[in-house]
Amino acid sequence: MHSKTKDIALGAVLTALALGLSVMENLFPVTAAIPLPGVKLGLANIVTLFALYELGALPALTILIARCLLASLFAGNFSALLYSLMGGVLAMLVMIGLKQCRRLSVFGVSIGGAAAHNVGQIAAACITLGDTAVIGYLPVLLGVSLITGTLTGFIASLLFRAMKNVHLSH
Amino acid sequence: MKSKSSPKLRPTFFDAIVVVLVAALALGSAWWFYGGLGRSGPATYIITHQGQEIARGELRQPREITVEGQYHLQIVCDGESIAVTHSDCPTQDCVRTGRATHPGQSIVCLPEQVVIKLVGSGSGPDLVIG
Repeated sequence: MHSKTKDIALGAVLTALALGLSVMENLFPVTAAIPLPGVKLGLANIVTLFALYELGALPALTILIARCLLASLFAGNFSALLYSLMGGVLAMLVMIGLKQCRRLSVFGVSIGGAAAHNVGQIAAACITLGDTAVIGYLPVLLGVSLITGTLTGFIASLLFRAMKNVHLSH
Repeated sequence: MKSKSSPKLRPTFFDAIVVVLVAALALGSAWWFYGGLGRSGPATYIITHQGQEIARGELRQPREITVEGQYHLQIVCDGESIAVTHSDCPTQDCVRTGRATHPGQSIVCLPEQVVIKLVGSGSGPDLVIG
């Protein structure tokens, strides 16, 4: 039996978890090693991936948008909202598309999502700055997304393995 | 709970295709952005703030520029390179980017919407003899 209440509760827990991961990775900024705007591990994408497979596309998109809104609200930085929303929504759309290809593993979906996230953020930066200079960062950001996408895909695969023995609802 | 769709958990050959496509996009964007830039002649810096050009000059002429907005940026051109030496923006990416020395390089401060671009004038001589 499908329980809407449990899905809502699970969505709220996953949103809180994604927010926590976003805040946590800000404590260890990758930009200290690779000084480019937008470089990050994308740990919150683990939650997005999990929600996409476990709850479906629409709940996953809702969790993503809620996370972006709350993160900018808590940080008091609404200028960053456009970047996170454009990056996040484009990543979600690409992951929804890649997920349809049954021959791809969670690694391929994660890497595609990480790359799309960077493309979305660069597009948002071009719109905000009114300048295409930031496209010069895209090659490096895409290179980094191969590593971060593999990392988040690996963590997500461990999570899915562990979840095989966990029953969230009935 | 039975998941709505169980993902494959081990990398497959098709994942490698995604990696190749992302790498191709990276190389393609690098070629598109950096391939056509003029690299001859003295470099010129162009500084824009919130979409408006606020300064332009040759890199070989030392100069200090201050950008005042929500945040404050100190930009120093020392005759060979240009850098944001101080900023009170929250991300500090502009300061961490370091010095830009060659045409095609840029420094961006997203919070203050400042872009420093180096472009080649393309007007310099190809070779000086004698």
